Amino acid sequence: MNPVNVSQIAKSFGETHAVADVSFEVQRGEIFGLLGPNGAGKTTTIRTMLDIFKPDKGAVSILGGPMTDEKKARIGYMPEERGLYQDVTLERCLLYLASLKVVPNDEARQRLAEYLERFDLAEHKNKKVKELSKGMQQKAQIISTLLHEPELVVIDEPFSALDPLNLQLVKDLMCDLRQQGVTIIMSTHQMHQVEELCDRIVLIDNGREVLYGDLAEIRQRFSGHAVEVRSPEELPSLPGVEQVAIHNGAVKLTLTADSTPQDILYQLTTKKVILEKFEIAIPSLDEIFIKVVEEGRVKV
Amino acid sequence: MNFLWRVALFEYRRNVFKKSFILLLISVPTFITFSIGLGVFLESSEVNPLPVGYVDEAGVFASVLTAPEIASTWNAENDEGIAFIAYLSEDEATAALNDGVIQAYYLLPQDYFETRRVEQIYIEKPGKNAARQFYDFMQLNLLSSQPPEFALRAATGTDVLVRSIDGKRVVSSDGPTFGLLMPLFMTMGFLFMILMSSGYALSAVADEKEIRTMEVLVTSISPARLITGKILGITAIGLTLLFTWTLEILAGIAVSRQLGVSWFMDLSMDWRIILATLAVGIPAYALTIALMTAIGAMVTTTQEGQSVSSIFFILHLAPLYISFIFINDPHGSLGVILSLSPFTALMTIGMRNLFTIVPPWQIFVSVGVQIVCALGTFWLAGRSLRLGMLRYGQRLTWRGLLGRLDRA
Repeated sequence: MNPVNVSQIAKSFGETHAVADVSFEVQRGEIFGLLGPNGAGKTTTIRTMLDIFKPDKGAVSILGGPMTDEKKARIGYMPEERGLYQDVTLERCLLYLASLKVVPNDEARQRLAEYLERFDLAEHKNKKVKELSKGMQQKAQIISTLLHEPELVVIDEPFSALDPLNLQLVKDLMCDLRQQGVTIIMSTHQMHQVEELCDRIVLIDNGREVLYGDLAEIRQRFSGHAVEVRSPEELPSLPGVEQVAIHNGAVKLTLTADSTPQDILYQLTTKKVILEKFEIAIPSLDEIFIKVVEEGRVKV
Repeated sequence: MNFLWRVALFEYRRNVFKKSFILLLISVPTFITFSIGLGVFLESSEVNPLPVGYVDEAGVFASVLTAPEIASTWNAENDEGIAFIAYLSEDEATAALNDGVIQAYYLLPQDYFETRRVEQIYIEKPGKNAARQFYDFMQLNLLSSQPPEFALRAATGTDVLVRSIDGKRVVSSDGPTFGLLMPLFMTMGFLFMILMSSGYALSAVADEKEIRTMEVLVTSISPARLITGKILGITAIGLTLLFTWTLEILAGIAVSRQLGVSWFMDLSMDWRIILATLAVGIPAYALTIALMTAIGAMVTTTQEGQSVSSIFFILHLAPLYISFIFINDPHGSLGVILSLSPFTALMTIGMRNLFTIVPPWQIFVSVGVQIVCALGTFWLAGRSLRLGMLRYGQRLTWRGLLGRLDRA
């Protein structure tokens, strides 16, 4: 049983079709990327998934069925539009939010002390939230999302406002949680973070799911038309290559439809070209994102 | 502890432990102490215990009678008798005045019985008690030919009593007592509590949107529980204010009675009116709080909500500005209509109760109308919250709200 199963959901607001047709499953213990350009319907999808909005059609199964009050305490959610009570102390604010997730006060205090220490916020616990920097507030929000030890974590742009040190801290934490079997759904525009962390993704555009599946498979799927070659000498003109470009300190050769990487390697070795690097050019997620969104729906 | 109490307690502590709230709590005793202190000071500054002299050239005081302690003054209990000293000539009286023996003297000239004119001579303006007591003293001596009881009655003067038909409320010529004005004070107290709590209700919801905590909250607790918890917390804040102020006012009354301020001596009140005020005030409170919650969910910022809600505050206060209509005709059709209408009922009934007994059927209908409106508004507030809670930076219009109720 998957923790999340979204099946052909649609949601409109008046004449605006925020989500038209989105389906995906999230497997236990994975980091799942929910991606899409601005206004694609990601936030509406998340809100529908979490029962904040009722879908106009389709169905959502979360932690084995429809959302209940009991399940809310097993989910950690950090929305894109987020905030904390500015006029109370950090400790009181986080303990209150934990109490709404049914965490006993003593337990919450103990866990909070550990998290505050880990996030270097312990000395700020008695400060009012408004006295904290944006980065500190971001870390506090992450603590609030995780303090009740949820089984399912949904986080929207978890890395915004974080410096490289704290960014690494959050990434390590997410990997730790995955190892502990926690399921994480992450929505972000930082594609390199998705490449680094996510196991599977769904890409939504115009309210529709346009790309869905295992990240490695998707990247593999979008590769195969180009190779990256690095050589100390100038590359000769090769048949079967339709475009030559400099990419990441190497030469990216885009192949014609009837050519294969093996054909190119054969030609290069035949011509005794010294090779420092020869590999199939796997497109970055950024490139796939742009390609898919620009060209329309692609099924994997 | 369930969610409702957690939300209520957080809302309560978040507001009550603020400096502004503590200042609000102590503002009332400060104001009362200042008012009483000022009153006592002004009153004492108008009283001068020095004797008053008189020169009787007309023979009014042939056989001197001392003025009785009559209740013709507002503060007779504190108006201790002053001595009257007779002088045979103006020179003697002037010398005594210059020496500070007396605060003033009165000259009754030989033609007094023709002119009825008396001169008051002083260096510094004498206390009000001087003129008041000399008037009584003179009046009694002018009536010395009458039997003592007639003279005393005549000197006491008239006291017109206005009595309600059932005899339960009496207003003397000294004006209404504190007890008689109690329903109005209660109404004002309720109104103040409504206005204060409305502000908290409005910001409780609008703030959550403004600081972006709403979305996290509704994934922990249902919107209905969230809003109910908040209303409980806000009501507790309102009750804290009301309870504290009531205690402070009672303490103020006790001190005033100790100081002998006569206005606070008669605290008898008509309990029917007190109950009627409570019956109308409670649903009025619920209705306004529900409405403010709905507005809070619809607007984008607390400030915007405050401007919208001011319309309803004006409605609450409107009867105060047309109170002359209720004085002239407390049973007039406008008074009845406003008594039965939501928002205006509390103040209108409070005002009308000063001048008449509002018929029980009007109280019942008014309470019924307000309860129905309050329930409807609570329902609307829930829908408004559901639709408006995540519309950051966008206002939910009434048209949008009503047009989308079926899809909420």
